[in-house]
Amino acid sequence: MADQTIAGMPGISRMMAAGDRSSRARLVICLLGVALVITMLFSLASGASDASAASVVRNWLLGAAAGTEALSVRDSIIVYDIRLPRVVLGALVGAALAVSGAVMQGLFRNPLADPGLIGVSAGASLGAVSIIVLGGTMLAPLSAVFGTFTLPLAAFFGGLVTTLVLYQVATRQGRTSVATMLLAGIALAALAMALTGVLIFMADDRQLRDLTFWQLGSLAGATWQKIGAVGPIILAAMLAMPFTARGLNALALGEATASHLGISVQRLKYIAILSVSAAVGAAVAVSGGIGFVGIVVPHLLRLLIGPDNRYLLPASALLGAALLLLADAVARTIVSPAELPIGIVTALAGAPFFLWILLRKRGIVDL
Amino acid sequence: MIEARGVSVSIGKKCIVSDIDFEARPGEIATMVGPNGSGKTTFLKALSGEHAYTGHVAVNGRDLAAMAPAQAAGLRAVLPQATTLSFPFTVREIVKLGLVGGRSGVMPGEAERLPERALAKVDLEGFAGRFYQELSGGEQQRVQLARVLCQVWTPIIDGQPRYLFLDEPVSSLDIKHQLIIMNIARDFARRGGGVVAILHDLNLTAMFADRIYVMHRGTLAAAGTPHEVLRDRLIEQVFGCRLRVGALPAGNAPFVLPQSAL
Repeated sequence: MADQTIAGMPGISRMMAAGDRSSRARLVICLLGVALVITMLFSLASGASDASAASVVRNWLLGAAAGTEALSVRDSIIVYDIRLPRVVLGALVGAALAVSGAVMQGLFRNPLADPGLIGVSAGASLGAVSIIVLGGTMLAPLSAVFGTFTLPLAAFFGGLVTTLVLYQVATRQGRTSVATMLLAGIALAALAMALTGVLIFMADDRQLRDLTFWQLGSLAGATWQKIGAVGPIILAAMLAMPFTARGLNALALGEATASHLGISVQRLKYIAILSVSAAVGAAVAVSGGIGFVGIVVPHLLRLLIGPDNRYLLPASALLGAALLLLADAVARTIVSPAELPIGIVTALAGAPFFLWILLRKRGIVDL
Repeated sequence: MIEARGVSVSIGKKCIVSDIDFEARPGEIATMVGPNGSGKTTFLKALSGEHAYTGHVAVNGRDLAAMAPAQAAGLRAVLPQATTLSFPFTVREIVKLGLVGGRSGVMPGEAERLPERALAKVDLEGFAGRFYQELSGGEQQRVQLARVLCQVWTPIIDGQPRYLFLDEPVSSLDIKHQLIIMNIARDFARRGGGVVAILHDLNLTAMFADRIYVMHRGTLAAAGTPHEVLRDRLIEQVFGCRLRVGALPAGNAPFVLPQSAL
């Protein structure tokens, strides 16, 4: 029966109870943690500037002990005020998108579900575009009050409103119909995109340039201020998500069975929906439309460690962060000194990869 | 004891089940029989908290309607007719989900090995590492039963009897496994738990049921021991099919009854 255990890893499956992938999952999570640290150091070291990789990494690893002379003033500004916030923001956004995807897929019991699919991203975009276009005129009072927080707050608000409307539409007598929710999500996304279209129509030339670049997705504008605005939202949402892991596992057997197993399904849905809309809203606000992270990362990890959400969620956060940083490194070096919007990189790499996964999985698992 | 008084269930405006009185006692197997669409599954779903109902249901003297999912999960486990799975879990991972919210009643160290023991019980030893979706329908049904058994592994906890709800547990099983599964139910009852089972096979019902509830068009047509209930007239009335209880086939035609199992 050894050859019928988990495909591809006969050696590891022999070390534990057959069918138990938890040890392998823990190992993968540790390796992903190490990979993320390496990716962050690599991202700090690479870029259009000539701050040399060696000096950046040495400065980081040895800290003040190495002496400040290791970095010139210019290099240290590049590292601390430009690259470091960008790396931190990239990691936060990548983690938020990947783990949100995994939670949505568990909630909808469908490996193709994604925050982009149910209109959360579209709603968040509408919020952000309203500020970009109307922030100087109609919505000027808002900008005056919230300052640099206006854009992320508006995106978060847009995502949250979309999710709440969706929840109202799809819930009858305390039960959420997933089919209605998916369809309503498509309708709401279309409505949000139409309203976004109206705003784009109203925009002037300079705003159009901002909009286009933002919609394609970019981490270029990363500042510590932005991290201060969206970081707490993303971190709070990601701290809430692990509490859904056990419930999402049970939900794989259906809502009724999950409830029979002792899971409070309505509360589970509530936590999942709120944390996903918060995380996605915040991510969209700072980075625009970065696609495919939420679908590709959990898919890859399910192939590797199985669908147990207790391991899938943290692993998705780590791999999402690392992959987005790699994509960003590509985005800012491949056409240096200019840089490509990161959304283009993730789509160019993610879309064919996603198709490949679908083709590979066809016949093994029903999608 | 599970006690239902005057339970009715409506889905939309349609009344599916009306005014059912039902009891499931610890130490006994209570079976529900009846034609397709007579309301057996709907009533069981009311008992398991899945459908809203009018009337009163008490589990061990506590009102079912006031129970949180986690509390109910500690008192009963439910085997549905069919289970679909959305992600590629292994057999062991599925069975272990039985331990997610309920109380198996075994020591923490033992719980680690419970999936293997439950799988051995349903005659699936060595299947732990297989993918659930690659199994046959009958094997999948037995995996689900192993999961359900994990949830209420000890039939009595803190003096409280616990219950197995089984909706057509043997519908896709061969005769050997039908008997294995029914014997698991009987064993669970003998050790102090209660079993509520929906069955279609009247011979298995006669063989294993302590009490039979006969459903007909959403109401209770009869209730009692197999001797009291399995009568020619009632069967004809309910199933619309002229059958004679205890009659042998004419001539030398072979027949095999589960009762003949040695």
